[in-house]
This record gives sequence, structure tokens and C-alpha cells, in this order.
Amino acid sequence: MSELQEKAINTEEEPQWEKLGTQEERKWPTKTEFTPEMLVEMEKMLPSKLNRVVAASLAGCIHCGMCSEACHYSVSIPEDKTLVPAYKADRFRKWYKYRYDWMAKVFPSFVGAKPLTKELADEMYDKLWGGCTMCRRCTFNCPMGVDYGMMVRAARHIMQKVGRIPQHLQDTVDTHYNHGNNMAVPQDEFVETIEWIEEELQSEDGCENFKIPVDKKGAQYFLTLNPREPKYYPLTIQATAKVLNAAGVDFTISSRYWDLTNYAMFNGDDADAKLFATWQAEDVKRLGCEYLLAGECGHGYRALRWELPNWVGGVPFKITSVMELMAEVIQQGRIKLDKSVWAGKRFTYHDSCNIARSGGVTEPQRLIIRACVDDFVELEHNREEGFCCGGGGGALAMPEFTPRRLAAGKIKADEIRATGANVVLQSCHNCTDQLKEIIHHYKIDAVVMNLAELAAPALVL
Amino acid sequence: MPTIEIEGRTFEVDEDGFLQDPGQWNEEVARLFAKTEGVEEMTDEHWKLVNYIRNYYMEFNIAPMIRKLCKDTGFKLKKIYELFPSGPAKGACKVAGLPKPTGCV
Repeated sequence: MSELQEKAINTEEEPQWEKLGTQEERKWPTKTEFTPEMLVEMEKMLPSKLNRVVAASLAGCIHCGMCSEACHYSVSIPEDKTLVPAYKADRFRKWYKYRYDWMAKVFPSFVGAKPLTKELADEMYDKLWGGCTMCRRCTFNCPMGVDYGMMVRAARHIMQKVGRIPQHLQDTVDTHYNHGNNMAVPQDEFVETIEWIEEELQSEDGCENFKIPVDKKGAQYFLTLNPREPKYYPLTIQATAKVLNAAGVDFTISSRYWDLTNYAMFNGDDADAKLFATWQAEDVKRLGCEYLLAGECGHGYRALRWELPNWVGGVPFKITSVMELMAEVIQQGRIKLDKSVWAGKRFTYHDSCNIARSGGVTEPQRLIIRACVDDFVELEHNREEGFCCGGGGGALAMPEFTPRRLAAGKIKADEIRATGANVVLQSCHNCTDQLKEIIHHYKIDAVVMNLAELAAPALVL
Repeated sequence: MPTIEIEGRTFEVDEDGFLQDPGQWNEEVARLFAKTEGVEEMTDEHWKLVNYIRNYYMEFNIAPMIRKLCKDTGFKLKKIYELFPSGPAKGACKVAGLPKPTGCV
């Protein structure tokens, strides 16, 4: 029972549900075209986005072409040379050079410099929103260490600031801003959903005493969720809670800032990113939890584990993920798993870029999988070398680029097919939907599941 | 913007196949969308779910939570995924003519 409901019972009043998010709602003014005034604003903003990483990445490219083999867009769609990372980045780099490269003052064309025109801005929009998932696989293969993801994020923010951003992506950020989570789940309905899932969990064999505590002060782990779980796919909450209960983990879910997503990572807006991170960090402090526990969510993990402490200026709690915690309880022998439930099926695992390449977590997932199944086959490129599924970087929230997103998923689809797997495992909600879509699109016979859904049915209770 | 045509009427959809103007929805659109979501025939149970989502959206301007769906229609969670294999967000809500939801879907 949540603190709010307890209070309500004690005072015999209706629970006082809280309006989460900002008090004054906002709708970011988006534009369908670049105007001369917008270009002027972008010129003014450029210097403020040039930190060391971004400037070095803009200046550093030697056009060696190593990145062309690294990018899922250029590998999946080789006939379109404009999808090679160096070319895409040059849409931004040309403008940067025009402003900052001394050679450009004398021979602009010699260094490939170009002034920011509507034409160049349109190309930036097309390539840096719709032609890059900021997966940073090219960065791993770049001899100059160009951090493509950070550079694209800077360019995106410049475009977003003047209103040129895919509408649906900005709507997702605005929804988070206005409601405290990116699907506008109200507090009362959220708590009711969790109670319902708790009942469903308790109706499973051997789970009669399992709990999903809401707002439990002093719990060790503050479990976060992706809003699509309470809104549409609550079985993943049930599966995660089942594993945590079986292992005797002391966890809670907040009735307030339980959303681990941060789409401001994708639109580049640091102010919003910091705001969302601050709401969550304050909420962890309110409940006094030792760990902020990221659910299975790619960018969410990165946003919490690697970005949140920077955005909010340090935190008094530790940050980890369900993947790492599950591996830990398996290693400690706190749960028992029966592989026979998955007998006869072959599994593969897709690494989310933000968890593996940008997050450094690759082995706990394998440990969980090997504890649950016998037949596990790695994708040709795996761990930090894995290709992006094509759905990252907010791509799933940009319907205008959907045909290209599906085309760019071809390399991943080919690698999945080659494993002969019946089940594609992953730990990210964005990856889930993209993998489901490419499996359908490229006619592969496989289902997609996350690791909690893998472990929960195998639990010996 | 892609369009689809049904009986001479043109409907604008986004690239993910969601109807742009929910006001344009009718039962023919629903039947057509259902096919693209792996539902060959709309049964009474499909309609019950779709109509509930549609009425909820018209009243509150947002898709209902899965909890509300189950509670108010009496369907078990499992049943909803059976009725619409692509799930409540991309399946049922799309067929009901709702716009694409925000977030990771």
C-alpha cells in the first residue's frame, strides 16, 4: 500500500493525487521549414554547443572511410552513399568549418566549408535526425576518435531550439515535461496498475506472498520502469517483480518519478534532460533508497547510470540495472532456475547500444542467459561491436523516417536469421519494437523477449 | 504524407500507419487497419475492445491504460494480446483510429 493511500485511509479522505511534471504545461513550437530567421538563431547558438568533444569531432575527421563499414545505415543501404557517417556528419561539419576553420576564410571549397543555408540545414535535418541513431559504432571504428553521437546530439539541439525537430519526438519530450513521464500516466492510474499487477503476480503458483511495494521508504532498490510497461505491457513488470521477489530483493516502485526514460537525450536539450533527471534523483532521496535501479531499457540505463549524476551534479545513491542485479543474485545462488522450461528453443541476444557500447555492460546479460537456457548463439557482431537494431536515438518516435529505419535494420535482421534463433533476447523497449518490426518485415520466424521474461518462467520457487 | 484509399475516400496516415485525423475514422478503416495488424476478421470481441478505446479517446483525448481496458471490458490481459497480436498500442489503438502514442512504441 502506498503512503498516499495509507494517509487516505487514516484520514478517511480520498487520496490526494499529485499532478506530476511541471505545473504549467508547454507545447514546444515546432516548425515545418527552416526560415532565414531560424538560420540566424542557429548561427548565434552554434558557439554555445562547441565543447571539447564536439569541436574535436567536428575538426578531426580525415575522411578515411573506416566508418562506412561501421554504420548500420550504410551497411544495410550500401547504394546510398549519403548515409556514410562521414558524409552525414559533414552536413554539420561544413557549417562549422565555414565559421571556424582559418583555411575556409581563404579557400572555403578546399576544406569543404559551406555557409549555413536552408539547403544545408535541410540536409542536416534529414541526416542527423533521420539518418543516425547515435549508436556510436562508428566512433568505435574511428581512428580519429570522432564522437559522432555527441556531435549529432549538439546539432540536434541547435535544430530543436529553433523548432525544427520531428514532431512526435518533441511531443514525447513535452509529455514527459508536462506529466512527469513520457506517456502521461496519471499517478492514481499508475498505482492502481501496480496493485493490479501485484494481484496478478500473487495468482501465479508459488507467488502468493510476493509484493510490489509502492513508495516504501528505505527500500534498498528504487526500481524504475519504462512508461510503456504500465501503459500497455505490464507483463514485463510482473516478470521483473517475480525475479526480484524470488531473490528476496528489497525494492520499491515510486508513485511519482518511476519513469527511467529521458528523451531529452535524443533531442539534445540539456535543460529538459537535467529537469527529468532531477525529478528522479530527488524522488530516490525522498524514499532514501541505496540504489537507483534501472529497468531493462537501453537509453534509460545510460541516462541514469552515466548521464544523471552529471546533469544533477552528483548523487548520494548508487546506480545499477536490473541486468546487473539479476546476474548478481544468480551468482550468489539466491534464485534457482530450471533450464528445461526453454528446452528445444534457440536463443540469441541483441545488445542495446546504450547498455553495451555506451554503457559498458555486456557480461551480466550472458550470465543470466546461460543460467536459463542451453542453446544460446551469439550474433555475428555482439557486445560493444553489435550493430544498432535501427530503433535507437529516438528513431522509433520519428514516423517520417520509418521506411529508412526499417531498411537500416537489414543487417541486424540478417544476423538474427543466421543464428537460427527462435527467440531474440534484448534489454531495451526501443529495441523490442524495432526488432519485432524488422523480424516481421524481413520475414524471420522468431519472437522477442527481455531478460526478466526469460528468467521469470524458469524460476524454481 | 502517405495516404490510403477506401471506397473512393482518401485517408492520411503517418509512415507507421496511424490515422492522422482521428475524426476521419469509420468501421471500414478499422477493418483495413486490422488486416495490417494481423487481424483477418474483426469479431464482436475485437469491436468491443476497439469501441471502448475509441470512446475513451473521444472523451479523454488519450488512450486508456491497459488496466482500464481490462477492467472495463472484462477481458483478461492475455485475451487482449490474443485479439491483437501486435499489442494494445500498435494494434488495438491503431485500429481504433488513435494517433501514434508518445514514448517507446
